Amino acid sequence: MSDHEQHDSHSAAYWRVFWALCGFTVISVVADLVALPSKFMLGAIVLAVATAKALCVMMYFMHLKFERAWKYLLLAPTMIIAAALPVALRPDIGAHYYVQDVKQLGADYQEHLERTAAHSAGHH
Amino acid sequence: MTHAVAAPTLKMGIPISNAKLGMWLFLGTEIMFFTAFIGTYIVMRMGSLGWPTDTHVTHINIFLGGTNTFVLIVSSYFVVVSHDCLLSHQYAKAWKFMLFTLILGFVFLSIKGVEYTGKFQHDILPGHIPENNLQAMDKVVHQFGKLMDRRLAAAFPKQSKREDQKTELDNRIKSLNEKSGRSPAEEQELKSMSNLAKLNSEYVSLKEHVRSNLALKVPLANFDAIRKEEHASYDPVNLDDVNKKVEEILADKELGPLASGLGPAHPILYGNLFASNYFLMTGFHAIHVIIGLFMFILVLMKGGRLCVDDAILVENIGLYWHFVDLVWIFLFPLLYII
Repeated sequence: MSDHEQHDSHSAAYWRVFWALCGFTVISVVADLVALPSKFMLGAIVLAVATAKALCVMMYFMHLKFERAWKYLLLAPTMIIAAALPVALRPDIGAHYYVQDVKQLGADYQEHLERTAAHSAGHH
Repeated sequence: MTHAVAAPTLKMGIPISNAKLGMWLFLGTEIMFFTAFIGTYIVMRMGSLGWPTDTHVTHINIFLGGTNTFVLIVSSYFVVVSHDCLLSHQYAKAWKFMLFTLILGFVFLSIKGVEYTGKFQHDILPGHIPENNLQAMDKVVHQFGKLMDRRLAAAFPKQSKREDQKTELDNRIKSLNEKSGRSPAEEQELKSMSNLAKLNSEYVSLKEHVRSNLALKVPLANFDAIRKEEHASYDPVNLDDVNKKVEEILADKELGPLASGLGPAHPILYGNLFASNYFLMTGFHAIHVIIGLFMFILVLMKGGRLCVDDAILVENIGLYWHFVDLVWIFLFPLLYII
């Protein structure tokens, strides 16, 4: 490592980031405890906080802020491929744009089971 | 003639050490690995008609999850401090902070262990969760059957089949009943054998009622006649009665101790989907934590030999540990809060 001899300590920055991370965690927990008007808002807040925490860790603790442009070369393809999977799965699994001919799990499934059970009991 | 000054050696490629490049390439694959799980979870949750979010039902403990988040953040901070100390030639301090990180890693796993124990105790496991009342009743019967197998096998270890064990049980009770002047030990045995037989008859009755979908108030003795009826109409068995029966057995002074391990069952719609996702993500994360701890131990074993040359090693282990922290930063809101 080139900076063995002339090491600039980032300890003050680490300390600030540590407190920022603790503060973000408290915000997440408070957002859960406070009765927010919608689940969507809660999800948006906690995921935004998580993203901010992740950026803090990556930029400072993982030193990406101090690294040169190679970080984009290495991480950009990874991020694109990583995002591709959920995006590719979403139309078929995550969204229902079609009418289900055969009903899947739900209240109707429970009714179906009860009807089947009642039917089989009727045979006895 | 003057000699030309040799040109400085060109350094090709990315301006970081090979070890660090290797670690970042590995972390790149790790990002894809965990994004696959997290992405699948999000997609499944969006696609599912429902999801169990009540923490009393899922036994998710937000306080423990939050504590673990804090533990990992502190440990991540300690790793960077340790690396910083190494670069400043404060080796003893670097070693100490590495030790703190290791301890916090164990604290994380212990808290995770407490959470997992709760899940195992309440059988919140993939494939184990009944999703409707019929499955819940089937689960009670299945649990009861396994309990009877254990009790009968303990009483009659020489017989392997349940039928033989039951025959042996009946024979033993009969012979003890017929014997006059029983010793206190035989009296005790007769009592325990009778209780076992009583528990078994409770099991058979519950099983037959659930399998035949007939209310518990319908006597078992009438079943043969009912099966012959063409248009029989009886109340179906229901989960509340089955669970009440289980509670009665557990509260019974004589049968209760024998029935320990049995419990009422409550359906959780989409519970298996939840449990699969929960254990897949937290399980793989826990495996990563364990691997990280091994790496910390490797560094700590250097003891007084830890020096500035180990800075790259510590930095790489630190990068891995921060990644583990990063994954948890997303798992906590996704699994515990939303």
